[in-house]
Amino acid sequence: MSPIEMTDSETATATQENTQLDLPWNVVVFDDPVNLMGYVTWVFMKVFGYTESKAATLMMEVHQLGRSVVWTGGREKAEFYTQQLQSHQLKTSLEKAA
Amino acid sequence: MKVMPTLEGGLRIDLEDRDDWGFLYAIHHDVTACDSHLADRLGSAVSHQEIADDWREFVVPDLDLSFSSQLNVVAEAITRARDEADDGPGTLWIRRDDAYDWYGALNQARLAIEECHHFGPGESVDPLSLEPGARQAFLRSQFYCALQSLLLENGMG
Repeated sequence: MSPIEMTDSETATATQENTQLDLPWNVVVFDDPVNLMGYVTWVFMKVFGYTESKAATLMMEVHQLGRSVVWTGGREKAEFYTQQLQSHQLKTSLEKAA
Repeated sequence: MKVMPTLEGGLRIDLEDRDDWGFLYAIHHDVTACDSHLADRLGSAVSHQEIADDWREFVVPDLDLSFSSQLNVVAEAITRARDEADDGPGTLWIRRDDAYDWYGALNQARLAIEECHHFGPGESVDPLSLEPGARQAFLRSQFYCALQSLLLENGMG
């Protein structure tokens, strides 16, 4: 980049474009002592269309680890899924994937 | 009180007296007396700064409406059945189409009881060690849980 010559009264304006890919979002479900394990599995199948096996695996992750990332993807869809899970009374959050 | 599944995927609850009806009315009471902020609590789990304000403004009110609707379905069904039975022996039918609303209302009641009493997992609680009010709440929560299990097995598959 070449230097810009200026007098004392001039102002130089430079525009820099910085483009980066938008990070995906994680939908995270947290454990609680109320929601039944069978119900949580049922909700994952209903909301995401997961197989019973995948839904049960995620449910066990929630139960044993206290939380599980149950879906990752674009923000709009992540918000939709989070709303759906909360409407089924599951404690659910959204976070940017690392 | 006797509870049994129906062939159509619902539940039939046979009630004997005023106490039994009171037990069902306690569902609504538990939700409203203990904690009426379930939508707020769920919504506050979304805390990312880019989203949190919109979530509170647009999503939480929808959640609140949906939870209220479940309670209304249940309250109306109980009132209708009790009026027919005149507070005496009678039957309340939970149709398969209403199973999810019933499940949701019972869940709200259990979440509210948990919010008030912090029992934790049911299997780790000794009811005899609880104060009378807490013990009654715990037993109601266990009863609601049993109804939920039947609904899940029978009506929501």
